Amino acid sequence: MMDVEGFMRHMLWDRRRWNRVLSSPLTYTLLGGVLRLTRGNWPLDAMYQMGVFAFNETGRAYVGKAPVVWSSAFFPVELAWGLGLCPFSPEVAAAYIATLGFGEETMSMGEQAGYSRDICSFHRCIAGAASAGNLPRPAALLASTHLCDGAPLLFQNLAALYGAPLLALDIPYNSSPEAVRYVAGQLEQVWLSLADVTGQRPDRDKLAEAVRCSERFRAQMQRVNELRCRVPSPVSGNDMLGFIYLFFVGQGSREAAEIAAGLAKEIERRVAGLGRSGQTGTQTEKYRLLWMHLKPYYNNELMKFVEQDGGVLAMEEFSHVYWTPLDPEQPFLSLARKTMSHFAFKPVTERIRVMAELARKYRVDGIVHFSHHGCRTASGGALMIKEALRDEGWPVLVLEGDCIDGRSEACGGMLTRMQAFLEILQERKLGCAL
Amino acid sequence: MRLMITAGIDVGSLSTDAVLMRDGETLSQIIINTGAMARSAAERAFGLALSAAGLRASDVDAVIATGYGRMSVSFADSQVTEISCHGRGSAWLSPKVRTVIDIGGQDSKAIRIDGKGNVVDFLMNDKCAAGTGRFLEVMAQRLELELAELGREDQQAARAAQISSMCTVFAESEVVSLIAQGVPRPEIVRGLHLSIAERTAGLANRLGLAPEVMMTGGVAKNPGVVRALSEKLGAKIILPPEPQIVGALGAALIAQQKHARQSV
Repeated sequence: MMDVEGFMRHMLWDRRRWNRVLSSPLTYTLLGGVLRLTRGNWPLDAMYQMGVFAFNETGRAYVGKAPVVWSSAFFPVELAWGLGLCPFSPEVAAAYIATLGFGEETMSMGEQAGYSRDICSFHRCIAGAASAGNLPRPAALLASTHLCDGAPLLFQNLAALYGAPLLALDIPYNSSPEAVRYVAGQLEQVWLSLADVTGQRPDRDKLAEAVRCSERFRAQMQRVNELRCRVPSPVSGNDMLGFIYLFFVGQGSREAAEIAAGLAKEIERRVAGLGRSGQTGTQTEKYRLLWMHLKPYYNNELMKFVEQDGGVLAMEEFSHVYWTPLDPEQPFLSLARKTMSHFAFKPVTERIRVMAELARKYRVDGIVHFSHHGCRTASGGALMIKEALRDEGWPVLVLEGDCIDGRSEACGGMLTRMQAFLEILQERKLGCAL
Repeated sequence: MRLMITAGIDVGSLSTDAVLMRDGETLSQIIINTGAMARSAAERAFGLALSAAGLRASDVDAVIATGYGRMSVSFADSQVTEISCHGRGSAWLSPKVRTVIDIGGQDSKAIRIDGKGNVVDFLMNDKCAAGTGRFLEVMAQRLELELAELGREDQQAARAAQISSMCTVFAESEVVSLIAQGVPRPEIVRGLHLSIAERTAGLANRLGLAPEVMMTGGVAKNPGVVRALSEKLGAKIILPPEPQIVGALGAALIAQQKHARQSV
């Protein structure tokens, strides 16, 4: 008898059947019901709300209720929300594919399609899923040249595969007023082209509303981050890394703003001892960590191991709200400033400065830089980051690994490095035998 | 007052080592092959160490397991990484040591320690078998030599053959080609040792080499690798009397410190 996983694998390989399942409204009705039954099991209700939002958006994309636009990480997705479109993040989809255990097959398909094993596994996974026809068909693809230089190239290939236009942003490596105006001009052009391609009316009021929602999301996440300064940490940073969906896809939507507000309220209640468990913080907290970059999404023990050993992600690089308030009256200039102000799209000294600031603010005991294979942007500066932060007094672990591809590393070695790092922290913090 | 007896069990990929200590004095030390069953190898090594010291398991106050198979040692009180254990063991053997280079069966590590043997920083290469004991094992097999004969073979070389590949599989192909070309075996062996030294020196220099340097792990028993590494690093390398048991020794020392603290 075929088990559930075997059945799912069979479905994955049979693209016609898989697509029929994914694009059927019945799938979302049934699974939506199952999802509702799980509400009480989520560590945070906001996580459940985000799960529902992501699930509904995925359904909207596959069932074809609105034109789908693919957006690469760090692209200001408010433009799509401002046109009533359905943004879809292939990078987030790749993380879900890996979490569900289909990463290897999907990457293999990408590799068979001609993508080298040396390139980012997120991209190989996206390419594989696209070549199998398992992703919702895009009306347009949005990518920017900053932070992830592989994405616009991948999107160019995929645009040709789907016969859809690629609307790319060219982000200059400086934030002079001229450069901001240059990017703002491109954003306006992309917005108009997107409206044209998808047959939507470019409504400035609607765009202003999307920017207003995005601003509300920013303010609420900042409130969340302020609450997270507490010791012990009121939430698990590993859980917080799950909110990356809102950062990559949700900004500009009413739902993301509401979920962020709900999250802030929930943490406030928890801090006041009014949460479900009555506890104000993570009871097992021994070491507070600042976590840089992402984590393995495939079946890997790393994050569970960190938490079991008393490690708490007090703050993550990806949860940091680095941009200034947005002005709905000046949507393009605001979004240009936001897009260009990412601290990692600057000399590495800026990333170091921001991380040191976070390390101080969140009173961390150590810093982990998860160096995702294939991500030159993040890993390229890892050595300098390690040296600079170590000189400021924090132990730093550069943990090489992969977010999606578990075939390229031995889990045991990764856990040994992590455990040895926690042993260093124990020795420093408690000054006692391991 | 009875003096505390502790045990350290290091379950490595190739060998399992056990050390029994009583208040800083080594009572016995055992090295056996790990084989296919890490758990039974640990039990066997512990049993042999107890017999050698004339003790029973109930005489031992605390056991710490280390090495890649540390989690499978069910009778251990706790598990500590081999990184911390090699640091502690090396400092106990030679308090001036600040850098430990451990080349084991399946990975290599460079470890910076302070004066007490606490790990300050480390780097570990475990992505593949390159530069490890397994690399040498495969090559020795191809050259029809015992692992222990490699050092002696190296001493007979007039020069080193060029081995460019770091990858074990590719390096083995190079060795096959060199054999076919009639390159003398000692020269191939020296070339292999230089290749390991190159890779390990890269790891140590990336960490930041601080004197004094101690080399631990089974590969430290190969004088060809030690000499090549010493030359590459431009530093004298201290060798412990038995490099293979340093991890187990460190585990026994940590067990002692930990147990003493818990007893207070």
